Amino acid sequence: MRSYRGQVAIVGVGETPVGKVPGRSALWFNAEATRLALADAGIDKSQVDGLVTAPSFVAPFARMSVAVSEYLGIQPTFSNTLNVSGATAAASVSVAAAAIHAGLADTVVVCCGDNMLSGLTRDLAVKALVESRDPQYEAPFGLLVATTFALTAQRHMAEYGTTPEQLARVAVITREHALRKPGAQMTAPITVADVLASKLVTTPYHMLDCALVSDGGAALVLTTAERARDYRRAPVYLLGGGESYTQEHIFCAESITTTGAAVSSRRAYAMAGVDPGAIDVAGIYDCFTGTVIMMLEDLGFCKKGEGGPFVETGAITYGGRIPINTHGGMLSYAHPGLPGGFFHIVEMVRQLRGEAAERQVAGAELALCHSLGGGFATNATIVLGTEATL
Amino acid sequence: MTARPLPPIDDDTRAYWAGLARGELLLQHCRDCGHVQVYQRALCGRCLGARVEHRPASGRGRVYSFSTVHRAPSAEFKEDVPYTVVLVELVEGPRMISTLVDAPPETVRIGQAVEIVYDRVSPEITLPRFRRAGASMTS
Ligand SMILES: [Zn+2]
Repeated sequence: MRSYRGQVAIVGVGETPVGKVPGRSALWFNAEATRLALADAGIDKSQVDGLVTAPSFVAPFARMSVAVSEYLGIQPTFSNTLNVSGATAAASVSVAAAAIHAGLADTVVVCCGDNMLSGLTRDLAVKALVESRDPQYEAPFGLLVATTFALTAQRHMAEYGTTPEQLARVAVITREHALRKPGAQMTAPITVADVLASKLVTTPYHMLDCALVSDGGAALVLTTAERARDYRRAPVYLLGGGESYTQEHIFCAESITTTGAAVSSRRAYAMAGVDPGAIDVAGIYDCFTGTVIMMLEDLGFCKKGEGGPFVETGAITYGGRIPINTHGGMLSYAHPGLPGGFFHIVEMVRQLRGEAAERQVAGAELALCHSLGGGFATNATIVLGTEATL
Repeated sequence: MTARPLPPIDDDTRAYWAGLARGELLLQHCRDCGHVQVYQRALCGRCLGARVEHRPASGRGRVYSFSTVHRAPSAEFKEDVPYTVVLVELVEGPRMISTLVDAPPETVRIGQAVEIVYDRVSPEITLPRFRRAGASMTS
């Protein structure tokens, strides 16, 4: 099997302030995160010959990767503005790794930034509604973006007995994690009762079952494994990647409780040559609480249908089988739209470098990141490892 | 009351919306492989054959999943909340998105039998909604 396993490493990460950050543009969030990632890597911008980013929801640049390059004063020879909705984060890293491995570029910045919270006007909110739903077969029926995901959770509850309390536990645990992460948007502890008492949005989801709306940006610097050895930080290697695109419309999905994540993760594990049981820590796209429960199953951390009890027994926090979203995820750290999934990757890099301070999962060598979007239309998984895992 | 988003009809879907306007839910059947599909396309989504034809559906199905919307996605839907979005599995096989009428949210369950209700919202557009099968018309 052709593979980029061990050929490419992440050598720098950067994050802007997140939450409510008024007055800053989507370009700024991209550029500032990139500036910080280059400083972290200890390299000059002149060494960057590739840039991958996602379109901004707020800013009007169709060629966002080109606009960000210009803002930064660089002229890369590889550029990609990539959008597979929420799956963009892991997919962007995989595309950058493939480009490096294939010789299209040597050092690629993968960044993403947006000002969803400060920049969201009423017109943009309507645009979000229109663009995210089929205008003939879905939009006339008044679906929220969350409603598509809610349909999957409702069915999961009926098929497997997953409870509202189990969904709520995901939010509670994620909030506990965010309390250890400086700069997190949410800073007050919550209980299961708080989640269940928060306003219903689209059943079974309450307000606290849903991801935040934020401003923020994140960036990663990727280069060849050969070059990575000369960098100041311990390289974090790309061991495997996989993607899956199963449908556009939720009504065309073969199953709404088993998703393309089962396929994308199987491909990523196969390339990495590891089993789910070997993963020490994971960043799982947590747009909704039920999403996490379904992903724990599809990613192979527990059996299908057992995600609820798995969460309830503390398996996804410190001391459990697989601590996830140690930065607080999109439920409690930040969710500026497409950048939301990138913070999980930054956090997993920090875990594998042993730099996660009081959030550190002791001895973490192997990490998984999974991003998804469009009501499970898109799924992308990457497996990362330290030098010891090569 | 503000106008809700109306479907923009195109060549693929003209016959579908015309069917709904006269009280027929049309499904595309492939004459080559027998596949039945939602949504309307110029080709069969299974075999890519162009010999797809519309046939009236029974209008009956079951609730495959549902979600009751409490926070309107936009001002146009504010006066309707709470309303229940359903993923209906038609007896012909395909699934479609709709909303339930005459169904208090707390009574909705996965697996319930439903039947189509034709909701005329403009001269061109009749939306396919669903109600509990056997329920009497109350509006
Ligand atoms: Zn066919």
